[in-house]
Amino acid sequence: MTEQIDKALAREYEAGFVSDVESETFEPGLDESVIRRISEMKGEPEWMLEWRLSAFREWLEMEEPEWALVDYPKIDFQSISYYSAPKSMKDKPKSLDEVDPELLRTYEKLGIPLIEQQMLAGIAVDAVFDSVSVVTTFREKLEEAGVIFCPISEALHKYPDLVKKYIGSVVPKKDNYYAALNCAVFTDGSFVYIPKGTRCPMELSTYFRINEQNTGQFERTLIIADEGSHVSYLEGCTAPQRDENQLHAAVVELVAMDNAEIKYSTVQNWYPGDENGKGGIYNFVTKRGICHTNAKISWTQVETGSSVTWKYPSCILKGDNSVGEFYSVALTRGRQQADTGTKMIHIGKNTKSTIISKGISAGRSNNSYRGLVRMNPGAEGARNFTQCDSLLIGDQCGAHTFPYVESRNPSAIIEHEATTSKVSDEQMFLCRQRGLDPEKAVSMIVNGFCKEVFKELPMEFAVEAGKLLEISLEGSVG
Amino acid sequence: MSEWLESAIARAQGINDWLAPKRAHALELLANTKWPTRKTEAWRYTPLRPVERTQAKVITDKVELLPVAIADLSAIELVFVNGQFDQTQLAKTLPEGVSISLGGDLDTAQQAEALHAFSTIKPERHIFGLVNDALAQDVVVVTVAEGVEITQPIRISSLLSQGAESHTRVQVTLAAGSRLTVIEDVQAQGDSFNTAFVEYKVAANASLEHYRFALQTGSNVSIGGSHFNLHDHAKMHSTLVGFGSELSRLDTDIIHAGEFADAKLNAMYLLDGKELFDLHATVEHAMPNGKTEENVRCIVADRSRAIFNGRIHIHRDAQKTLAELNNRNLLLSDKAEINTKPELEIYADDVKCAHGATVAQIDKQALYYLQTRGVSRSKAQVMLNFGFINELIDLMPNAALAEWIRPIIRERFAQMEVK
Amino acid sequence: MSNTKSLLTIKDLHASVEEKQIIKGLDLDIKPGEVHAIMGPNGAGKSTLGYVLSGRDGYSVDSGSVTLDGEDLLDMETEDRARAGLFLAFQYPVEIPGVSNLEFLKASVDAQRQARGEDAITSADFLKEAKAACKQVNLPVAFLKRGVNEGFSGGEKKRNELMQMLLLKPKLCILDETDSGLDIDALQIVAEGVNSQRSADRSFIVVTHYQRLLDYIKPDFVHVLSDGKIVKSGDASLALELEAQGYAWLQKEPVEDELEG
Ligand SMILES: Nc1ncnc2c1ncn2[C@@H]1O[C@H](COP(=O)(O)OP(=O)(O)O)[C@@H](O)[C@H]1O
Ligand SMILES: [Mg+2]
Repeated sequence: MTEQIDKALAREYEAGFVSDVESETFEPGLDESVIRRISEMKGEPEWMLEWRLSAFREWLEMEEPEWALVDYPKIDFQSISYYSAPKSMKDKPKSLDEVDPELLRTYEKLGIPLIEQQMLAGIAVDAVFDSVSVVTTFREKLEEAGVIFCPISEALHKYPDLVKKYIGSVVPKKDNYYAALNCAVFTDGSFVYIPKGTRCPMELSTYFRINEQNTGQFERTLIIADEGSHVSYLEGCTAPQRDENQLHAAVVELVAMDNAEIKYSTVQNWYPGDENGKGGIYNFVTKRGICHTNAKISWTQVETGSSVTWKYPSCILKGDNSVGEFYSVALTRGRQQADTGTKMIHIGKNTKSTIISKGISAGRSNNSYRGLVRMNPGAEGARNFTQCDSLLIGDQCGAHTFPYVESRNPSAIIEHEATTSKVSDEQMFLCRQRGLDPEKAVSMIVNGFCKEVFKELPMEFAVEAGKLLEISLEGSVG
Repeated sequence: MSEWLESAIARAQGINDWLAPKRAHALELLANTKWPTRKTEAWRYTPLRPVERTQAKVITDKVELLPVAIADLSAIELVFVNGQFDQTQLAKTLPEGVSISLGGDLDTAQQAEALHAFSTIKPERHIFGLVNDALAQDVVVVTVAEGVEITQPIRISSLLSQGAESHTRVQVTLAAGSRLTVIEDVQAQGDSFNTAFVEYKVAANASLEHYRFALQTGSNVSIGGSHFNLHDHAKMHSTLVGFGSELSRLDTDIIHAGEFADAKLNAMYLLDGKELFDLHATVEHAMPNGKTEENVRCIVADRSRAIFNGRIHIHRDAQKTLAELNNRNLLLSDKAEINTKPELEIYADDVKCAHGATVAQIDKQALYYLQTRGVSRSKAQVMLNFGFINELIDLMPNAALAEWIRPIIRERFAQMEVK
Repeated sequence: MSNTKSLLTIKDLHASVEEKQIIKGLDLDIKPGEVHAIMGPNGAGKSTLGYVLSGRDGYSVDSGSVTLDGEDLLDMETEDRARAGLFLAFQYPVEIPGVSNLEFLKASVDAQRQARGEDAITSADFLKEAKAACKQVNLPVAFLKRGVNEGFSGGEKKRNELMQMLLLKPKLCILDETDSGLDIDALQIVAEGVNSQRSADRSFIVVTHYQRLLDYIKPDFVHVLSDGKIVKSGDASLALELEAQGYAWLQKEPVEDELEG
């Protein structure tokens, strides 16, 4: 039966094509001059360069973390190119008409048409291609509402004060090895600012595409939701199918001011490598948000891609009554390795956090949940609920749970539960007795296992996530 | 590497006895071991400063110390005083089928066997296990013959006088189908330092009832472990009671080396003052059809700190394993701290594994309810704390031990600061 | 014997589970529209028969033949048997957490219609039918949104099975103790559900322990299954006889050691 299940989960990596665009790519290698060049290409202010350089110097002193349950050959940081951009982007196209049609075609093939008329209404997209943002849609409409949504490289010119104030404020430069590296070499990413009391009129989303060979992608996202505002942000990612591993080390910082709410959803579908573990993206990502009084940050992630994932979207619940949520589905197959989870740091009074993690391991993969719940002495009346469920498919994979629970406040309540299970023979038999083929049966059962997380995704993404797991949500009752 | 460890290594290099190969191996490993810091996962929450600062010294002069008496318990007493096995306290005649010997007194074949067991039961990752390997003073080997059921428990007491350092080591082998109860106990006076490791081989169909009391408090450093190797259809039932001291650290390893083994571990620790207690319980399911059930409960008051790491590792071949861990903690003060980490590492699909951990404070409603019935707040708190732990005491198979420990625990709760 | 073609024909069936022979030479012939009751002591192999017919993994046929509508049933995959019109209402329905009843049913109906080359039913129409089916088995419509059998009581699970039967419209329904654990009202609901589905081209195998169900569902034939064989067949009156006398008189030898059974 395992075979049938494996077959059900196996799928072509549809985003594995390469786009034929002429790019300007740095020679592989990393030193201060590379960083200066990146900064220069982007025409950055001096302080930004200094910030990058100081991060770089700190990075040189740091060691690669080894505590995660992932195993990969040592990365040669000198063999990576740190900048690659389509040549056509050099003169900064002013409108969509000026953008290289091949780039537009790439996104269209990925199901992300960038022509506004063809787009899903209600979603604005920032399309990042290797090291640059190609286009950001619906900007006018957003500007009317006072919402800023643009590439971070552009924000550095237009809103330097905002960027300067918040960049590195949630994830400090030397937070960890990959974050420090990102600080030094980040190329582009999205910047969002939602003004006070504003409900962002549409979903914002960034679509990351790695195309060029031997390049790393180091994007940086900064989202600031000012007092009483609300935004829902989506993120998607894909890369061509290649035999070499490629590094993706992103940093995402979220700032939710008093009474603000940020909902951040990710469908991560980087190329996972082939069945034997050849190729694939190393996805080493630092994501963290800070919640001020009464604010709420909700992370939802569906992780199906990457050969190695190292990712812990976290919340610092600084303000009283603030709320952090983490909903995660991580599916690993083949030789994929995922070490993912969250940190909930409760600082303010009556802060609340919820963690729902669903791990599905198949093939020869390893899938770990790693989480931290910390109640600081001041977290009077704080609460956490954590549920981690693992589903094992076959006897060659691994499913692991590493929760750290730390409490220093007697009035705080923490509840953590973890279970493991498999797709049972009885369930399979029931489905097949009703006429479902085994593949459909598995995807339905796996989908059911993930339900609590999928229901947190915005509609359009729920559909995409379902497809990723080869699961049709069709017929589900709304 | 710390100065303490360097001097320990230097001292160990002088020892030459039957354990020499084991000591040499340990020294080799120690030479390549980093002194644990906050970044060392196994010592993340337990700083080793008390070890680094200890002034405790090995005392070779003969000292008279007796283990505490336990009413209604008639045990075979196996006593170490400052690390030295006190032959005089051992009964002259032992029940049929039991042998208790100093390792040095065994014949060569027996020593070889004991050495082999020493290299297979306790995992080599414990730094203080290696220290103990290198520095162990008297080593005692206990065996129970095949099919023999020993009703009289064996109590292993490690007694330390003021400022003493000791490193004790016992190996217990239950041959196939035998039954035995072992009680491990450390009683230490102030400013002492001890490492105390006991290793158990529980052969097929044998059954071990086990207790470890770590009741020493105050300015002691007490580090040790109980390590179990379970063979086909072996059973173990272990109870741990810990009070914590300046630094108390226990490592428990349960290895399902055979099929259909059944392990139960109930642990409770009750910490007060500035005490620290750190339990690392690891269960390795290396074979199919094993069963493990762990219940760990902690109450921490004042400025104390409890650390628990409960790891369950299901190996690829260990299909049909049932493993469950339940960890509940009560935090009584805003200066106290609980750090708990229940871990699952699973490589087999047809298994049932779960863990749960909660941290909370005393049920306010229950407290209120008792108060409305006229019970004082402090008394009510003691009652509720006690209830939380009492469930585990009720599960102790040995009634004499349960009745002995119950009032001790009650007394401890009465002394805990009420907020 | 009438000349109508048989719907189900079982000939000298031998089947085993985990190397243990459970069905030991069983013959049964069911014509369209007939209702056959199968009774028998615990451990006789009644549930096993249902599993073997529906092709559950681990249940292997050692010899004999089974045809459904003239086609070799034993040659088909489980889901193909279902699509050919065989439905099993489980004695112990399993839970599938997170998968809503409606989603599950729609997928089943879609798969079966597609296999039969019929057009897909629209979601709206299906929802209407599903609601009607709920009503018929007296389950609140909210059960459509709940996970399949997730947290249902024993009786609710049984009614949920029946609801699925109503929607799938099979040719051959095997009801495995669908009446056990039901109170008298629920029993009547089940019986009415079955009776409403009785038709010239639909047959039933009703496995039960109790004569009382047969007060409501009048069987055309009653068979006694004991130790993997049909030891006696008769009309509805046989059930009354069994009620009065138990099974012992039918067994040439006492049932094998209870422990084994
Ligand atoms: N998976 C199995 N493994 C071994 N024996 C089984 C299994 N399933 C059923 N049996 C045995 O088959 C016999 C028939 O069981 P069953 O068909 O459930 O009886 P009934 O439904 O008539 O009560 C019983 O002896 C039962 O113990
Ligand atoms: Mg049955």
